[in-house]
Amino acid sequence: MSDHDHDDHPSHGAAYLRVFIALCVFTGISVAADLVHMESKILLGAIVLAVAVAKALCVMMFFMHLKFERAWKYLLLAPTIILALALPISLRPDIGETYYTQDVQQQRDYEEQQANKHDSGHH
Amino acid sequence: MTHAVAAPTLKMGIPIPNAKLGMWLFLGTEIMFFTAFIGTYIVMRMGSRGWPTDTHVTHINIALGGTNTFVLIVSSYFVVISHDCLLTHQYSKAWRFMLYTLVLGCVFLGIKGIEYTGKIQHDILPGHIPENNRQAMEKVVTQFGALMDRKLAAEFPKEKTREDQRAELNSSIQTLTDKTPRTPAEEKTLKDRTALSRLNTEYISLKEHVRADITLKVPHEKLDAIRKEDNAPSKYEAVTLDEVNHKVDEILSDPETKSLAYGLTPAHPILYGNLFASNYFLMTGFHAIHVIIGLFMFILILMKGSALCVDDAILVENIGLYWHFVDLVWIFLFPLLYII
Repeated sequence: MSDHDHDDHPSHGAAYLRVFIALCVFTGISVAADLVHMESKILLGAIVLAVAVAKALCVMMFFMHLKFERAWKYLLLAPTIILALALPISLRPDIGETYYTQDVQQQRDYEEQQANKHDSGHH
Repeated sequence: MTHAVAAPTLKMGIPIPNAKLGMWLFLGTEIMFFTAFIGTYIVMRMGSRGWPTDTHVTHINIALGGTNTFVLIVSSYFVVISHDCLLTHQYSKAWRFMLYTLVLGCVFLGIKGIEYTGKIQHDILPGHIPENNRQAMEKVVTQFGALMDRKLAAEFPKEKTREDQRAELNSSIQTLTDKTPRTPAEEKTLKDRTALSRLNTEYISLKEHVRADITLKVPHEKLDAIRKEDNAPSKYEAVTLDEVNHKVDEILSDPETKSLAYGLTPAHPILYGNLFASNYFLMTGFHAIHVIIGLFMFILILMKGSALCVDDAILVENIGLYWHFVDLVWIFLFPLLYII
Protein backbone atom coordinates (compact mmCIF):
# COMPACT_ATOMS: atom_id res chain seq x y z
CA MET A 1 0.00 0.00 0.00
CA SER A 2 1.25 3.51 -0.75
CA ASP A 3 1.19 6.28 1.81
CA HIS A 4 -1.58 7.95 -0.10
CA ASP A 5 -3.96 5.15 0.84
CA HIS A 6 -3.51 5.83 4.53
CA ASP A 7 -4.15 9.54 4.42
CA ASP A 8 -7.86 9.25 3.77
CA HIS A 9 -8.43 5.91 5.46
CA PRO A 10 -11.89 5.97 7.00
CA SER A 11 -12.32 4.49 10.46
CA HIS A 12 -14.23 1.22 10.68
CA GLY A 13 -14.64 1.58 14.43
CA ALA A 14 -18.44 1.66 14.37
CA ALA A 15 -18.67 -1.46 12.16
CA TYR A 16 -16.24 -3.32 14.43
CA LEU A 17 -18.31 -2.37 17.46
CA ARG A 18 -21.45 -3.84 15.85
CA VAL A 19 -19.62 -7.10 15.09
CA PHE A 20 -18.31 -7.17 18.64
CA ILE A 21 -21.82 -6.75 20.07
CA ALA A 22 -23.09 -9.51 17.76
CA LEU A 23 -20.32 -11.82 19.04
CA CYS A 24 -21.26 -11.09 22.66
CA VAL A 25 -24.91 -11.82 21.93
CA PHE A 26 -23.94 -15.13 20.28
CA THR A 27 -21.86 -16.11 23.30
CA GLY A 28 -24.83 -15.28 25.50
CA ILE A 29 -27.06 -17.52 23.39
CA SER A 30 -24.80 -20.57 23.72
CA VAL A 31 -24.44 -20.09 27.50
CA ALA A 32 -28.22 -19.63 27.82
CA ALA A 33 -28.84 -22.77 25.73
CA ASP A 34 -26.70 -24.69 28.21
CA LEU A 35 -28.40 -23.17 31.26
CA VAL A 36 -31.99 -24.06 30.28
CA HIS A 37 -31.12 -27.81 30.46
CA MET A 38 -33.04 -28.92 27.41
CA GLU A 39 -34.12 -32.53 27.03
CA SER A 40 -32.48 -33.23 23.72
CA LYS A 41 -28.69 -33.26 23.83
CA ILE A 42 -28.63 -33.31 20.05
CA LEU A 43 -30.66 -30.10 19.85
CA LEU A 44 -28.33 -28.45 22.36
CA GLY A 45 -25.32 -29.58 20.33
CA ALA A 46 -26.87 -28.31 17.11
CA ILE A 47 -27.64 -24.91 18.65
CA VAL A 48 -24.23 -24.31 20.19
CA LEU A 49 -22.39 -25.50 17.08
CA ALA A 50 -24.56 -23.32 14.85
CA VAL A 51 -23.78 -20.38 17.11
CA ALA A 52 -20.09 -21.25 16.96
CA VAL A 53 -20.17 -21.28 13.16
CA ALA A 54 -21.98 -17.93 13.12
CA LYS A 55 -19.38 -16.46 15.45
CA ALA A 56 -16.55 -17.89 13.39
CA LEU A 57 -18.04 -16.33 10.24
CA CYS A 58 -18.37 -12.95 11.95
CA VAL A 59 -14.74 -13.03 13.08
CA MET A 60 -13.43 -14.23 9.71
CA MET A 61 -15.49 -11.88 7.55
CA PHE A 62 -15.08 -8.65 9.51
CA PHE A 63 -12.20 -8.92 11.98
CA MET A 64 -10.02 -10.84 9.53
CA HIS A 65 -11.32 -8.69 6.64
CA LEU A 66 -12.14 -11.70 4.47
CA LYS A 67 -15.37 -10.06 3.30
CA PHE A 68 -13.30 -7.33 1.67
CA GLU A 69 -10.55 -9.50 0.22
CA ARG A 70 -10.36 -10.54 -3.41
CA ALA A 71 -10.80 -14.04 -4.80
CA TRP A 72 -7.40 -15.26 -3.52
CA LYS A 73 -9.11 -16.10 -0.24
CA TYR A 74 -10.91 -19.03 -1.89
CA LEU A 75 -7.71 -20.27 -3.49
CA LEU A 76 -6.01 -20.27 -0.14
CA LEU A 77 -8.74 -21.41 2.21
CA ALA A 78 -10.67 -23.96 0.16
CA PRO A 79 -7.93 -26.67 0.10
CA THR A 80 -7.21 -26.39 3.82
CA ILE A 81 -10.87 -26.49 4.76
CA ILE A 82 -11.50 -29.50 2.52
CA LEU A 83 -8.53 -31.33 4.02
CA ALA A 84 -9.59 -30.33 7.52
CA LEU A 85 -13.13 -31.64 7.05
CA ALA A 86 -11.91 -34.77 5.28
CA LEU A 87 -10.26 -36.07 8.43
CA PRO A 88 -13.30 -36.41 10.71
CA ILE A 89 -15.59 -37.34 7.83
CA SER A 90 -13.31 -40.15 6.67
CA LEU A 91 -12.64 -41.37 10.21
CA ARG A 92 -16.27 -41.43 11.30
CA PRO A 93 -17.55 -44.49 9.40
CA ASP A 94 -14.30 -46.31 10.05
CA ILE A 95 -13.51 -45.85 13.72
CA GLY A 96 -16.04 -43.20 14.77
CA GLU A 97 -18.83 -45.72 14.94
CA THR A 98 -16.90 -48.85 15.82
CA TYR A 99 -14.02 -47.41 17.74
CA TYR A 100 -14.11 -50.31 20.17
CA THR A 101 -14.85 -53.92 19.52
CA GLN A 102 -17.52 -55.17 21.89
CA ASP A 103 -15.03 -56.80 24.20
CA VAL A 104 -13.50 -53.72 25.77
CA GLN A 105 -13.56 -53.11 29.51
CA GLN A 106 -15.18 -49.68 29.17
CA GLN A 107 -17.90 -51.04 26.90
CA ARG A 108 -18.69 -53.83 29.36
CA ASP A 109 -18.75 -51.33 32.23
CA TYR A 110 -21.11 -49.15 30.25
CA GLU A 111 -23.47 -52.06 29.52
CA GLU A 112 -23.41 -52.96 33.22
CA GLN A 113 -24.16 -49.38 34.26
CA GLN A 114 -27.07 -49.21 31.86
CA ALA A 115 -28.39 -52.54 33.13
CA ASN A 116 -28.18 -51.35 36.74
CA LYS A 117 -29.95 -48.13 35.87
CA HIS A 118 -32.66 -50.13 34.15
CA ASP A 119 -33.11 -52.39 37.19
CA SER A 120 -33.29 -49.55 39.69
CA GLY A 121 -35.79 -47.81 37.44
CA HIS A 122 -38.19 -50.73 37.89
CA HIS A 123 -38.01 -50.82 41.68
CA MET B 1 5.44 6.26 -32.12
CA THR B 2 2.33 4.27 -31.84
CA HIS B 3 3.37 2.76 -28.52
CA ALA B 4 4.11 5.96 -26.71
CA VAL B 5 2.27 4.83 -23.59
CA ALA B 6 3.81 1.72 -22.09
CA ALA B 7 1.45 -1.06 -21.17
CA PRO B 8 0.93 -1.19 -17.37
CA THR B 9 3.39 -3.66 -15.86
CA LEU B 10 1.73 -6.93 -15.00
CA LYS B 11 1.91 -7.71 -11.30
CA MET B 12 2.31 -11.37 -10.72
CA GLY B 13 0.81 -13.24 -7.79
CA ILE B 14 -1.80 -12.49 -5.20
CA PRO B 15 -2.57 -8.77 -4.68
CA ILE B 16 -1.66 -8.62 -1.00
CA PRO B 17 1.64 -7.95 0.81
CA ASN B 18 3.94 -10.96 0.98
CA ALA B 19 3.91 -10.90 4.76
CA LYS B 20 0.14 -11.16 4.81
CA LEU B 21 0.19 -13.98 2.26
CA GLY B 22 2.71 -15.75 4.48
CA MET B 23 0.50 -15.31 7.52
CA TRP B 24 -2.52 -16.66 5.67
CA LEU B 25 -0.59 -19.68 4.42
CA PHE B 26 0.54 -20.30 7.99
CA LEU B 27 -3.05 -19.97 9.22
CA GLY B 28 -4.06 -22.52 6.56
CA THR B 29 -1.70 -25.05 8.14
CA GLU B 30 -2.98 -24.04 11.57
CA ILE B 31 -6.55 -24.75 10.52
CA MET B 32 -5.54 -28.29 9.60
CA PHE B 33 -3.49 -28.64 12.78
CA PHE B 34 -6.41 -27.82 15.06
CA THR B 35 -9.09 -29.60 13.08
CA ALA B 36 -6.99 -32.75 13.36
CA PHE B 37 -7.39 -32.54 17.14
CA ILE B 38 -11.00 -31.43 17.03
CA GLY B 39 -11.83 -34.15 14.48
CA THR B 40 -10.11 -36.80 16.58
CA TYR B 41 -12.07 -35.65 19.60
CA ILE B 42 -15.39 -35.76 17.72
CA VAL B 43 -14.63 -39.25 16.42
CA MET B 44 -13.60 -40.60 19.83
CA ARG B 45 -16.55 -38.92 21.47
CA MET B 46 -19.02 -40.46 19.01
CA GLY B 47 -17.38 -43.88 19.18
CA SER B 48 -17.47 -44.09 22.98
CA ARG B 49 -20.91 -44.67 24.43
CA GLY B 50 -21.07 -43.35 27.97
CA TRP B 51 -18.64 -40.46 27.48
CA PRO B 52 -18.56 -38.30 30.65
CA THR B 53 -20.70 -35.18 30.21
CA ASP B 54 -21.70 -34.40 33.78
CA THR B 55 -19.75 -31.30 34.82
CA HIS B 56 -19.70 -32.51 38.44
CA VAL B 57 -17.80 -35.56 37.27
CA THR B 58 -15.41 -33.93 34.81
CA HIS B 59 -14.97 -30.73 36.86
CA ILE B 60 -15.49 -28.69 33.71
CA ASN B 61 -16.39 -25.16 34.70
CA ILE B 62 -18.76 -23.63 32.17
CA ALA B 63 -18.74 -20.24 33.88
CA LEU B 64 -14.96 -19.99 33.60
CA GLY B 65 -15.02 -21.26 30.01
CA GLY B 66 -17.73 -18.74 29.12
CA THR B 67 -15.77 -15.93 30.76
CA ASN B 68 -12.72 -16.92 28.76
CA THR B 69 -14.75 -16.88 25.54
CA PHE B 70 -15.85 -13.36 26.38
CA VAL B 71 -12.29 -12.30 27.27
CA LEU B 72 -10.96 -13.54 23.91
CA ILE B 73 -13.76 -11.84 21.96
CA VAL B 74 -13.06 -8.52 23.69
CA SER B 75 -9.34 -8.92 23.02
CA SER B 76 -10.03 -9.69 19.35
CA TYR B 77 -12.10 -6.52 19.19
CA PHE B 78 -9.29 -4.50 20.77
CA VAL B 79 -6.81 -5.78 18.17
CA VAL B 80 -8.97 -4.57 15.27
CA ILE B 81 -9.47 -1.22 17.05
CA SER B 82 -5.71 -0.96 17.48
CA HIS B 83 -5.18 -1.67 13.76
CA ASP B 84 -7.91 0.81 12.84
CA CYS B 85 -6.30 3.49 15.00
CA LEU B 86 -2.95 2.93 13.28
CA LEU B 87 -4.53 3.48 9.87
CA THR B 88 -6.22 6.67 11.08
CA HIS B 89 -2.94 7.90 12.64
CA GLN B 90 -4.06 7.71 16.29
CA TYR B 91 -0.82 6.02 17.30
CA SER B 92 -0.95 6.39 21.08
CA LYS B 93 -4.51 5.03 21.10
CA ALA B 94 -3.35 2.11 18.95
CA TRP B 95 -0.58 1.40 21.45
CA ARG B 96 -3.00 1.58 24.35
CA PHE B 97 -5.43 -0.88 22.78
CA MET B 98 -2.54 -3.24 22.06
CA LEU B 99 -1.72 -3.08 25.77
CA TYR B 100 -5.34 -3.87 26.71
CA THR B 101 -5.18 -6.89 24.40
CA LEU B 102 -2.01 -8.10 26.08
CA VAL B 103 -3.66 -7.75 29.49
CA LEU B 104 -6.73 -9.67 28.32
CA GLY B 105 -4.50 -12.43 26.93
CA CYS B 106 -2.91 -12.70 30.38
CA VAL B 107 -6.37 -12.80 31.99
CA PHE B 108 -7.29 -15.67 29.67
CA LEU B 109 -4.20 -17.61 30.73
CA GLY B 110 -4.91 -16.84 34.38
CA ILE B 111 -8.43 -18.26 34.15
CA LYS B 112 -7.04 -21.27 32.24
CA GLY B 113 -4.58 -21.69 35.09
CA ILE B 114 -7.42 -21.74 37.64
CA GLU B 115 -9.19 -24.41 35.57
CA TYR B 116 -6.04 -26.53 35.27
CA THR B 117 -5.43 -26.23 39.02
CA GLY B 118 -8.94 -27.56 39.68
CA LYS B 119 -8.31 -30.48 37.32
CA ILE B 120 -5.00 -31.28 38.99
CA GLN B 121 -6.56 -31.10 42.47
CA HIS B 122 -9.26 -33.55 41.47
CA ASP B 123 -6.65 -35.65 39.66
CA ILE B 124 -8.49 -35.38 36.34
CA LEU B 125 -5.29 -36.19 34.48
CA PRO B 126 -4.66 -38.64 31.63
CA GLY B 127 -3.75 -42.03 33.05
CA HIS B 128 -4.75 -41.11 36.62
CA ILE B 129 -8.48 -41.75 36.37
CA PRO B 130 -10.07 -45.02 37.49
CA GLU B 131 -12.66 -46.12 34.95
CA ASN B 132 -14.45 -48.76 37.05
CA ASN B 133 -15.01 -49.61 40.71
CA ARG B 134 -12.14 -52.06 40.86
CA GLN B 135 -9.68 -49.49 39.53
CA ALA B 136 -11.10 -46.88 41.92
CA MET B 137 -10.50 -49.16 44.91
CA GLU B 138 -6.99 -49.89 43.73
CA LYS B 139 -6.38 -46.19 43.31
CA VAL B 140 -7.39 -45.55 46.93
CA VAL B 141 -5.01 -48.31 48.09
CA THR B 142 -2.11 -46.98 45.97
CA GLN B 143 -2.73 -43.44 47.15
CA PHE B 144 -2.92 -44.61 50.76
CA GLY B 145 0.30 -46.61 50.35
CA ALA B 146 2.17 -43.60 48.96
CA LEU B 147 0.86 -41.50 51.87
CA MET B 148 2.05 -44.09 54.41
CA ASP B 149 5.47 -44.26 52.74
CA ARG B 150 5.82 -40.50 53.00
CA LYS B 151 4.71 -40.34 56.62
CA LEU B 152 6.91 -43.23 57.77
CA ALA B 153 9.94 -41.93 55.89
CA ALA B 154 9.44 -38.49 57.44
CA GLU B 155 9.17 -39.97 60.95
CA PHE B 156 12.05 -42.43 60.60
CA PRO B 157 14.50 -41.04 58.05
CA LYS B 158 17.30 -43.37 59.17
CA GLU B 159 15.49 -46.61 58.39
CA LYS B 160 15.55 -47.35 54.69
CA THR B 161 12.92 -50.04 54.17
CA ARG B 162 9.25 -49.91 54.99
CA GLU B 163 9.59 -53.00 57.21
CA ASP B 164 12.35 -51.39 59.28
CA GLN B 165 10.32 -48.22 59.63
CA ARG B 166 7.29 -50.15 60.88
CA ALA B 167 9.41 -52.18 63.29
CA GLU B 168 10.96 -48.99 64.62
CA LEU B 169 7.51 -47.42 64.97
CA ASN B 170 6.21 -50.34 67.03
CA SER B 171 9.28 -50.64 69.23
CA SER B 172 9.35 -46.91 69.94
CA ILE B 173 5.69 -46.95 70.92
CA GLN B 174 6.42 -49.91 73.22
CA THR B 175 9.38 -48.15 74.83
CA LEU B 176 7.43 -44.93 75.37
CA THR B 177 4.39 -46.75 76.79
CA ASP B 178 6.54 -48.63 79.32
CA LYS B 179 8.35 -45.51 80.39
CA THR B 180 6.94 -43.67 83.42
CA PRO B 181 6.84 -40.82 84.05
CA ARG B 182 6.92 -39.31 80.54
CA THR B 183 7.96 -35.76 79.74
CA PRO B 184 5.39 -33.65 77.81
CA ALA B 185 7.53 -34.01 74.66
CA GLU B 186 7.54 -37.77 74.97
CA GLU B 187 3.84 -37.72 75.65
CA LYS B 188 3.28 -35.91 72.37
CA THR B 189 5.59 -38.27 70.45
CA LEU B 190 3.73 -41.24 71.86
CA LYS B 191 0.40 -39.75 70.81
CA ASP B 192 1.63 -38.96 67.28
CA ARG B 193 3.19 -42.37 66.80
CA THR B 194 0.15 -44.20 68.11
CA ALA B 195 -1.95 -42.35 65.53
CA LEU B 196 0.57 -43.20 62.80
CA SER B 197 0.51 -46.82 63.85
CA ARG B 198 -3.28 -46.84 63.75
CA LEU B 199 -3.28 -45.33 60.28
CA ASN B 200 -0.77 -47.94 59.18
CA THR B 201 -3.02 -50.72 60.52
CA GLU B 202 -5.97 -49.23 58.63
CA TYR B 203 -3.88 -49.11 55.48
CA ILE B 204 -2.74 -52.72 55.69
CA SER B 205 -6.27 -53.88 56.48
CA LEU B 206 -7.74 -51.94 53.55
CA LYS B 207 -5.03 -53.11 51.18
CA GLU B 208 -5.46 -56.76 52.08
CA HIS B 209 -9.23 -56.62 51.88
CA VAL B 210 -9.07 -55.05 48.43
CA ARG B 211 -6.37 -57.46 47.20
CA ALA B 212 -8.32 -60.46 48.51
CA ASP B 213 -11.60 -58.96 47.26
CA ILE B 214 -13.35 -59.66 50.56
CA THR B 215 -15.77 -57.25 52.23
CA LEU B 216 -14.52 -54.92 54.97
CA LYS B 217 -17.20 -56.43 57.24
CA VAL B 218 -14.85 -59.40 57.70
CA PRO B 219 -12.32 -58.41 60.39
CA HIS B 220 -8.75 -58.03 59.19
CA GLU B 221 -7.42 -60.63 61.67
CA LYS B 222 -9.54 -63.31 60.03
CA LEU B 223 -8.20 -62.68 56.54
CA ASP B 224 -5.13 -64.88 56.99
CA ALA B 225 -7.23 -67.85 58.07
CA ILE B 226 -9.78 -67.24 55.32
CA ARG B 227 -7.08 -67.24 52.67
CA LYS B 228 -6.19 -70.81 53.60
CA GLU B 229 -9.78 -72.00 53.08
CA ASP B 230 -10.76 -73.51 49.75
CA ASN B 231 -12.53 -71.18 47.33
CA ALA B 232 -12.32 -68.50 49.99
CA PRO B 233 -13.40 -65.45 47.99
CA SER B 234 -16.62 -67.07 46.75
CA LYS B 235 -17.81 -67.71 50.31
CA TYR B 236 -17.66 -64.07 51.31
CA GLU B 237 -19.13 -60.91 49.91
CA ALA B 238 -16.79 -58.97 47.65
CA VAL B 239 -15.39 -55.66 48.79
CA THR B 240 -17.29 -52.70 47.34
CA LEU B 241 -16.16 -49.21 46.38
CA ASP B 242 -18.77 -47.71 48.73
CA GLU B 243 -17.22 -49.55 51.66
CA VAL B 244 -13.74 -48.41 50.72
CA ASN B 245 -14.79 -44.78 50.23
CA HIS B 246 -16.74 -44.91 53.49
CA LYS B 247 -13.61 -46.15 55.25
CA VAL B 248 -11.62 -43.26 53.76
CA ASP B 249 -14.25 -40.77 54.97
CA GLU B 250 -14.09 -42.34 58.43
CA ILE B 251 -10.32 -41.95 58.56
CA LEU B 252 -10.61 -38.37 57.34
CA SER B 253 -13.23 -37.41 59.94
CA ASP B 254 -11.51 -39.15 62.86
CA PRO B 255 -9.78 -36.37 64.87
CA GLU B 256 -6.84 -38.66 65.63
CA THR B 257 -5.97 -39.55 62.04
CA LYS B 258 -7.51 -36.56 60.23
CA SER B 259 -4.39 -34.44 59.92
CA LEU B 260 -2.11 -37.42 59.22
CA ALA B 261 -4.31 -38.66 56.39
CA TYR B 262 -4.60 -35.25 54.77
CA GLY B 263 -4.39 -35.68 51.00
CA LEU B 264 -6.17 -39.03 50.98
CA THR B 265 -9.39 -38.84 48.94
CA PRO B 266 -12.22 -41.20 48.08
CA ALA B 267 -12.08 -42.31 44.42
CA HIS B 268 -14.91 -42.29 41.91
CA PRO B 269 -14.71 -44.05 38.59
CA ILE B 270 -15.21 -42.03 35.39
CA LEU B 271 -15.90 -44.08 32.29
CA TYR B 272 -13.61 -42.84 29.48
CA GLY B 273 -12.17 -40.33 31.95
CA ASN B 274 -8.61 -40.81 30.69
CA LEU B 275 -9.57 -40.36 27.06
CA PHE B 276 -11.56 -37.29 28.03
CA ALA B 277 -8.64 -35.81 29.98
CA SER B 278 -6.19 -36.51 27.13
CA ASN B 279 -8.44 -34.74 24.66
CA TYR B 280 -9.12 -31.84 27.00
CA PHE B 281 -5.49 -31.19 27.83
CA LEU B 282 -4.25 -31.72 24.28
CA MET B 283 -6.67 -29.22 22.79
CA THR B 284 -6.70 -26.57 25.49
CA GLY B 285 -2.95 -27.01 26.00
CA PHE B 286 -2.07 -26.39 22.36
CA HIS B 287 -4.49 -23.48 22.35
CA ALA B 288 -2.82 -22.01 25.44
CA ILE B 289 0.60 -22.33 23.75
CA HIS B 290 -0.79 -20.32 20.84
CA VAL B 291 -2.06 -17.68 23.26
CA ILE B 292 1.39 -17.42 24.84
CA ILE B 293 3.00 -16.95 21.42
CA GLY B 294 0.42 -14.24 20.66
CA LEU B 295 1.36 -12.44 23.88
CA PHE B 296 5.00 -12.32 22.77
CA MET B 297 3.89 -10.77 19.48
CA PHE B 298 1.94 -8.07 21.35
CA ILE B 299 4.99 -7.34 23.48
CA LEU B 300 6.98 -6.96 20.23
CA ILE B 301 4.54 -4.26 19.09
CA LEU B 302 4.38 -2.58 22.50
CA MET B 303 8.19 -2.36 22.61
CA LYS B 304 8.08 0.02 19.66
CA GLY B 305 6.54 2.54 22.06
CA SER B 306 6.09 5.96 20.53
CA ALA B 307 7.83 4.80 17.33
CA LEU B 308 4.67 2.86 16.46
CA CYS B 309 3.35 4.37 13.24
CA VAL B 310 1.36 3.66 10.09
CA ASP B 311 4.28 1.65 8.65
CA ASP B 312 3.57 -1.01 11.26
CA ALA B 313 0.00 -1.44 10.05
CA ILE B 314 0.78 -4.62 8.10
CA LEU B 315 2.64 -6.13 11.06
CA VAL B 316 -0.25 -5.32 13.38
CA GLU B 317 -2.73 -6.66 10.84
CA ASN B 318 -0.82 -9.96 10.62
CA ILE B 319 -0.57 -10.31 14.37
CA GLY B 320 -4.27 -9.49 14.49
CA LEU B 321 -5.01 -12.25 11.96
CA TYR B 322 -3.10 -14.70 14.13
CA TRP B 323 -4.93 -13.55 17.26
CA HIS B 324 -8.34 -13.81 15.57
CA PHE B 325 -7.44 -17.35 14.58
CA VAL B 326 -6.64 -18.18 18.22
CA ASP B 327 -10.03 -16.69 19.09
CA LEU B 328 -11.69 -18.79 16.36
CA VAL B 329 -10.22 -21.99 17.74
CA TRP B 330 -11.56 -21.14 21.17
CA ILE B 331 -14.98 -20.33 19.67
CA PHE B 332 -15.14 -24.00 18.60
CA LEU B 333 -13.41 -25.50 21.63
CA PHE B 334 -15.79 -23.84 24.10
CA PRO B 335 -19.03 -25.50 22.89
CA LEU B 336 -17.31 -28.78 22.01
CA LEU B 337 -15.49 -29.28 25.32
CA TYR B 338 -17.61 -27.34 27.80
CA ILE B 339 -21.19 -27.65 26.63
CA ILE B 340 -21.73 -30.73 24.48
